[in-house]
Amino acid sequence: MSIYEGLSADKLAVVLDLGARYTKFGFIGEFAPRCIIPSEIKCPSSGKIRYIYSYTDENDLYSLLVEFVHMLFFKHVLVTPKDRHVVIVESLLCPTLFRDTLAKVLYRHFEVASILFVPSHLVALCTLGVKTALVIDVGYEEVQIIPVYEGVPILKAWQAQPLAAKAIEARLRNNFINAYNNMKNAAGDCGDTDTFAEDVSELPDSVIEDIKVRGCFVTTMERSEMISKSEPVKEPPPLKYRIKGDKLILIPGICRETAFEVLFERDNDTNSIQDLVLKSILECGIDTRKQLAENLFLVGGTVMAPGFKSRFMREVKALLHSPEYCDRLPLNTVKLHNPPAKDNYTCWLGGAIFGATDMLQMRSLSREKYLSLNTVPDWSNLAHNELVISKLPT
Amino acid sequence: MSYLIQREFVRYECTCGSLKPISVLHFCRHCLKLRCGYCVCHEVDSHYCSNCMEHLPSAEAKIKKNRCGSCFDCPNCFHTLSVRATTRSVEDGSKTPSKHYYLACFFCRWTTRDVGIPDQTTATGSWPNKENPYAETLISLLEHYKVIAMRERSQKDKKTYSTPRRGYSSFTEKFGLSSMIARKRAGLPSLPLGGKEVNLSNLPPITPSVAEEEVEPLPESYFAEEPDLTKITSLVQRHANPALQATTINTLHPQHRHFYIKRSLRCRQCEHNVSKPEYNPGSIKFKIQLAAYYHMPEVRIMTFEPLQAGKPSDIILKLINPTQHLTSVQFTQLPTTEEIEVAEEREKNMKESLDRDLISIPIPPRCVVITGKADLPSSAVVLPPRDDAAEYDDTVDTHSFQDDPNVVVWRKGNKAAVKFSITPFSDIKPGTEVLFGFCLDYGYVNTMPILEPRQPQRTEMQVKVYLSPGKTCGIDPK
Repeated sequence: MSIYEGLSADKLAVVLDLGARYTKFGFIGEFAPRCIIPSEIKCPSSGKIRYIYSYTDENDLYSLLVEFVHMLFFKHVLVTPKDRHVVIVESLLCPTLFRDTLAKVLYRHFEVASILFVPSHLVALCTLGVKTALVIDVGYEEVQIIPVYEGVPILKAWQAQPLAAKAIEARLRNNFINAYNNMKNAAGDCGDTDTFAEDVSELPDSVIEDIKVRGCFVTTMERSEMISKSEPVKEPPPLKYRIKGDKLILIPGICRETAFEVLFERDNDTNSIQDLVLKSILECGIDTRKQLAENLFLVGGTVMAPGFKSRFMREVKALLHSPEYCDRLPLNTVKLHNPPAKDNYTCWLGGAIFGATDMLQMRSLSREKYLSLNTVPDWSNLAHNELVISKLPT
Repeated sequence: MSYLIQREFVRYECTCGSLKPISVLHFCRHCLKLRCGYCVCHEVDSHYCSNCMEHLPSAEAKIKKNRCGSCFDCPNCFHTLSVRATTRSVEDGSKTPSKHYYLACFFCRWTTRDVGIPDQTTATGSWPNKENPYAETLISLLEHYKVIAMRERSQKDKKTYSTPRRGYSSFTEKFGLSSMIARKRAGLPSLPLGGKEVNLSNLPPITPSVAEEEVEPLPESYFAEEPDLTKITSLVQRHANPALQATTINTLHPQHRHFYIKRSLRCRQCEHNVSKPEYNPGSIKFKIQLAAYYHMPEVRIMTFEPLQAGKPSDIILKLINPTQHLTSVQFTQLPTTEEIEVAEEREKNMKESLDRDLISIPIPPRCVVITGKADLPSSAVVLPPRDDAAEYDDTVDTHSFQDDPNVVVWRKGNKAAVKFSITPFSDIKPGTEVLFGFCLDYGYVNTMPILEPRQPQRTEMQVKVYLSPGKTCGIDPK
């Protein structure tokens, strides 16, 4: 054991949170990641920039990850990966293929000493110091909700829908193109040709993301209702946005205001974000529901949008009092936690705190163990349904 | 230079199976194998600042969080900031004017005055750092969880220690001086002697986060005013400083410049370095550089006839021997897929019989589509050793090699040009890339002084070479 401690004192373990859009990477015991960088890498053979999550099969993912992890270690944290301990913060709903391939890359190619996989929803609570919360992770691909009660994730009550940054950006692009075509048609021949010279239908994703981050906001519930009923509302002023340095495009105020509506729209499937929250609470035991509702916790980069949290709380409260839920879920208060960090790296921070404790030595899967098992134990695989890794049959 | 900017016409097959030009390959002199960037072990060698070229030992760089002590990056455009000095006269006029310094970006004209950082009286070292505003809360949380984890661990350890032990050596290991120091360095509280959890019982108090019902609403200004994009930071600017993530440009804060590293490469099999740079960041030389182009014959395409599907065309290759020893080069055809399978099987059996913990990195399958066949010369070509003086000798070479004039068409010093014909497959379409390959057998003289017999050892080596001279042309010009 003492040798083990000596190693960890010498070689500070690293914490990796590989998100669909952005990757957070840093050291344990620190309170902010060393870098937040796009999860993308230049493909060495074709020279194209590719997202890690755009993989086609395992071999493709393997080569993407080798390049990406290499860059993380040698460009950003500047340490040798060999014989280092790694904490990976990942969702419980992470695809097995991705998890296994990432483990294979780290253990076999980079020869790390051990990996500790921690569920992102659970360790996020380390940043709050509470044991019970309903964690809502709004990232890029999807929103994932997992309640945690007294330090145990209630997996049965998980909810996930592709309602996150990707959907918002798709909505923004769609609305913008429509509005733009309308403007163009209305202007006819006498329109200002300069303004329409640029084809807006093929704006790159990075531009749409930039418009979303800098120009869009989450409107209030009252205004959203009025807009959906097409009642007249005073439109926010349009935004002048420059593309390629010299072209000026106008982004109508209504586009800026309604881009985030896709998360809160209730259709027949009732799969809006507020529905998912209440559905998840309903799935939990009746004695846990009040506590969970009073401990909501939003994590993920998308929740940093201006007005997101207040709108979210209004929507959840309103839905709680709607006839649909008021009988089944007689709760009066919902409360929201405020993390002591920026929302986009809260899960990473939880992993950094958790990894700085002795748990790193107790719970991590060592390289020798991995090589003998040749797979990573996971909750979804009943072959390793054992609490303590050391007791696993080899 | 042409290696860096040109297309890869000639590629060698590395031991790991990837095809790379000779300029990026390494040759491990200890296990006599080709290695490339994919199959060597990369290590961080030294840290340095690319602006002031200061280099620090790794331990010190770690403490400084891999950032330079004196250089700053512009938070707006990431260019390096420069220190500017101004003289300011003191109002009462009694003293001489004092010098004041501020930081300015010469690229985007951002200055520290823009964000209200006061001018400093010394040029370096006194710039304010922005601390994480939640540091105190987080430190208390960290201490709390550390104690919880230690409790769990000591409980677990107790169970394992219940078996009777012989001797006291285990206690010196557990409570000895060295482990105390190790614990202290790791930032963990020292274990009390006697095994009683004195400090484990009192958990450091924390203030758990309190959930709130009221959330700050969206300011009304969003509905009335157009956002000024010149005042709002982009995502890249925000992510450059993860702890701060300023949303408006007047809260940006300059950051110390991030270090760069020099890497050394190590062979995974024998753990010898194949490349080790000099420590000084200003130097571009290497202490060890076992590049493949110093050790194996290089193949270059000199010229070739237009390629046509199904028709043989002549190609002339130049072979260069870079070593100090005479070598002889022989061409053979690439093994067929069946032969490869047999060889792999044999290798696998050999590994199993050795029963060693061979750490081999997984090799993703690579597919190469061969679209041509070479009619290789059967005779061996002798290449004389490299002689730097001969490069400047204009007198006619007087070599006495018994060359077949149909194969060796030209010779000078350690170089020879070899002619043979290639036939692109007849079923390929015009305009497709022709790729063909052959095995190159060559003699290699190992001069490693550490080898047991002190004489240079001659070994026969083989490398697979793939050439893609160009595309097939359309119709027969006749």
